[in-house]
Amino acid sequence: MNGRTTSGSRRAVVWWGRLVVMTRKELIQLFRDLPIVLFLTYSFTLAILISGNGLRSQLHNASLVVYDGDRSFASRDLIHRFHQPYFRFIGELSHPDEGLRRMDRGSVMAILEIPPRFHEQLAAGEPTAIQLLVDTTNAPQGFSAAGYAGRIVAEFGQDISATRIGGSHQGLASLPIITSEHRVWYNPDQNEAWFESISALLRTITIFAILLPATAMAREKERGTVEQLLVSPLTPLQIMLPKVLAMTLVILGATAVALFGVMQPAFGVPVRGSVILLFFMTALFTFTTAGMGLFASTITRNQAQVGLLTLLVVAPMLMLSGITTPMEALPDWVNALMLLSPLRYFIEIAYGILLKGAGLDVLWSQAIAMAALGGALFGFGTWRFRRQFQ
Amino acid sequence: MVAPTSPQPSALGPQHTDTVIKVSSFVKRYKKNVAVDGIDLEVRHGEIYGLIGPDGAGKSSLMKAIAGVLTYDEGTVNVFGILVDSERAAERVKQWIGFLPQGLGLNLYPDLSVEENIDFFARLRLVPERDLLERKTRLLAMTRLDKFRDRAMKHLSGGMKQKLGLICTLIHEPKLAILDEPTTGVDPVSRRDFWAILAELLQEKGMTALVSTAYMDEAARFHRLSFVSNGKELASGTPAEVRALVPGSMVTFEAAPQLDALARLKRTYRQVEALGPRLHVFTESTDAEQAMSDIATALNGLAPSNVRVDEPELEDVFVALLLRQVEHQEADGALSVSAMNRDHDGPAIEAKGLIRDFGSFRAVDHVSFRVQPGEIFGLLGANGAGKTTVIKMLTGIIPPTGGEGRVAGADMKIAGNAIKERIGYMSQAFSLYLDLTVVENIWLFAGIYGLDSRATEERLQWIVAMAGLHGYESNLTGRLPMGVRQRLALGCALVHRPRVLFLDEPTSGVDPIGRRRFWDILSRLAREEEVSILVTTHYMTEAEHCDHLALMYAGRIVAEGSPSDMKSQVEQEAGRLLEIETDIPGRALRRLKEAGFSEAALYGTKIHLLSRHHVQDEARLRTVLSSDGMGVKAVGGRPLSLEDVFVHRVMTLEQQEAATKRGAGV
Repeated sequence: MNGRTTSGSRRAVVWWGRLVVMTRKELIQLFRDLPIVLFLTYSFTLAILISGNGLRSQLHNASLVVYDGDRSFASRDLIHRFHQPYFRFIGELSHPDEGLRRMDRGSVMAILEIPPRFHEQLAAGEPTAIQLLVDTTNAPQGFSAAGYAGRIVAEFGQDISATRIGGSHQGLASLPIITSEHRVWYNPDQNEAWFESISALLRTITIFAILLPATAMAREKERGTVEQLLVSPLTPLQIMLPKVLAMTLVILGATAVALFGVMQPAFGVPVRGSVILLFFMTALFTFTTAGMGLFASTITRNQAQVGLLTLLVVAPMLMLSGITTPMEALPDWVNALMLLSPLRYFIEIAYGILLKGAGLDVLWSQAIAMAALGGALFGFGTWRFRRQFQ
Repeated sequence: MVAPTSPQPSALGPQHTDTVIKVSSFVKRYKKNVAVDGIDLEVRHGEIYGLIGPDGAGKSSLMKAIAGVLTYDEGTVNVFGILVDSERAAERVKQWIGFLPQGLGLNLYPDLSVEENIDFFARLRLVPERDLLERKTRLLAMTRLDKFRDRAMKHLSGGMKQKLGLICTLIHEPKLAILDEPTTGVDPVSRRDFWAILAELLQEKGMTALVSTAYMDEAARFHRLSFVSNGKELASGTPAEVRALVPGSMVTFEAAPQLDALARLKRTYRQVEALGPRLHVFTESTDAEQAMSDIATALNGLAPSNVRVDEPELEDVFVALLLRQVEHQEADGALSVSAMNRDHDGPAIEAKGLIRDFGSFRAVDHVSFRVQPGEIFGLLGANGAGKTTVIKMLTGIIPPTGGEGRVAGADMKIAGNAIKERIGYMSQAFSLYLDLTVVENIWLFAGIYGLDSRATEERLQWIVAMAGLHGYESNLTGRLPMGVRQRLALGCALVHRPRVLFLDEPTSGVDPIGRRRFWDILSRLAREEEVSILVTTHYMTEAEHCDHLALMYAGRIVAEGSPSDMKSQVEQEAGRLLEIETDIPGRALRRLKEAGFSEAALYGTKIHLLSRHHVQDEARLRTVLSSDGMGVKAVGGRPLSLEDVFVHRVMTLEQQEAATKRGAGV
């Protein structure tokens, strides 16, 4: 009896020992691979800084030219209302056709045309119209330019009407006007750098979590070292798990650097929820995504193939999991497919913990979905591992 | 294009000079490492010039510089009288050169068929379609690849790939062929084929060839050669001239107990080898009597029996030259008999009717054999004969389609994990982590096999001493010389004191001293620690070390026995070996084949053939050759080598197979 427990605990020691030596081996190999180390460092620091600073989905400095056919006080007043940060006035046109030519070349984004007798008609109380041409090659930017322009013109019209009716501000106050007071939650300053830098971090984590273990495994196959492991008493789990453990450790470290070394000092990104929960969830996400990478490595022969395959998986995951497009806007079948994307759950978890201060009481369903997905992928990869050599 | 007969420097053809390549004080550095350190070389028209030396000696660098694909740091390289010192000069000589880079089929496209590969290289070189058709037909017939025209290159065996590589290199009939280790990793039959084809083409087309090799026994095939080691030339000249540099004789005998005899001999002689039951000693004395009495003294009372004294082979000469250069580190006494829990309950490995199918292809077909504890068992066979598949089944990498096996007392099917704890394995490809240091690799495998820290430290010391790794401990494995790497791999395979060791071509690309040391370790493991060893190799000189051999052909074992059994089986079947020396070996060989000596083969500059009736055959071949005006210098009996056995067996089977196919086809 006693002997059996000793041999049992001895076996457990050996089991853990194997996991430890294999994980250490992966870490040593990773840190000796200079290009990977540089790429990793860049991606978790500079790249996040750049996307936090640079990416803007809001309208910003749209170039505007004006054909002013009226050259009156009213027309100039209107033109002056198209100002920065939304629009940037870059010149006046002598002829309306010139504007279209410049738009074809792409040097202007919007053309404002004010007809002759604009001031006159306003003063006379006649209805009048102006024309705004917007380049919507970049659809979101074009639509928001049109939207902003509409608001500017409407305000201008309101002001003109008010002046005509009351001639003073007292008159304006008596008019039935609805003002919409909106309150923005979670990001009161509407600081875009928060969203952008967090989504850059999520993208980077996803790419490394899938690519690092996949290429590490493919490299072993390419160099033939995996044969040496196959004839050793290691089980497939003991061969695959250390890769995931090592990469998870590295990614957690890199995430800490990105969050506390770049995003907080540079953009003031808050961590409103539990830091421990965040890192625990990041580890779970890395494990799940690594499972996908390892599975990919079992159906490919070399690093080039596995690189291409993971690209094929990662690209739709990044685009469709809700970073760039809200899930609700996607067709039903894409929505259904994305239930298999661990990133979909992790996005909700990460924004939830960082910006909303949510805890497990809110995020438990996402956490369970991610864990189940990870377990299934990893199990499948382990099952495939042995079969691929036969 | 007509070969110019008078010196004419033109774009049409190279200047006809007697000297094709002239290299003086050539130096090539890679950052701080000096790869080639002042080599002089002169290759004359029509020669097969050999560059021989261990891996990393600088052969490839030199050949690439001559082919105009690598710059060099000092010295001059003249090819066809043109100084190759710039991109433009290199472009000028490239049209007359065919270059076959190192590595099996590396210059070929795996997904193209045999014919498509040839066509591609011909069109790249602007060979006219009519010439292409004619040359292709001839070369394919000569290499016996014509049956495989439509087969994708990746499905060819190693030997076939190399022959195809040769065709693609020579399709534009270059004036100079530069072949970098064309026979590494190729089985003896394909190797012999390769040399025969090369010799014939060269003679016919008046080509010149510069060829490198790591097989020392191939040195005899060159007209002249340079022996290179560590970037320096140790010897050069004709094989006979090189042999004369190290006068001495090779004494082969048996003495019991072998281990004692070995230890005693090593005190006096540096070149001592145990080949199966025999001992092989190189002495500097050329007189047989003198050599024997010296050895008797060294043996100090142990009586030698079955003594033979031979002229040393070129390989022995090279080892002697290398030993002069390097300070030999002795690993003596490092092996201690370790207490392993063995159970003497039967064979270490037992295979019973093993079968393995890949789709419709049967790679292994009812293979059965036994390996006793402490036995070195050699599995021989051409590339693709199924050796590696047998090893993969026994080590549990792939499951068998049928049959049974027991390894180290455990059943292959039900106790896979128990087997894995008890075996060590070293694969063809170097299978350690190149980006880990020596010590990190040992720690890793110690951890995998569950050794505790005390045992790990003890085994680490043992491996370092056994493999001679002192001073390399914290080097990255990728930077170690090939021989040292292989010994480290062996050490890692032995970290958990396995009872059975599987070695799949462990010495491919290792220099002769490294190989000898490796086999020294293997012998002692088997003799002193009773480790059973199953090994595959393409070096037939190494097969002599084995206690028992099995020859595989097309997935089956076709011959089995100790090396001397194998030889006597062939002698009984096909007769004894005759060695013939003539003035013009190539032509003589053709005449002999026409005259009905179908098994005659070129071995170096000598012709070997098996003969049942020595006296009659000798008389007949003398008349055949002298009727053609060729002088016969000498004809003599020679003991069969394992290479002769291998080639005889495989050729006979190939002929039988071809005959039955032809019979079935009609």
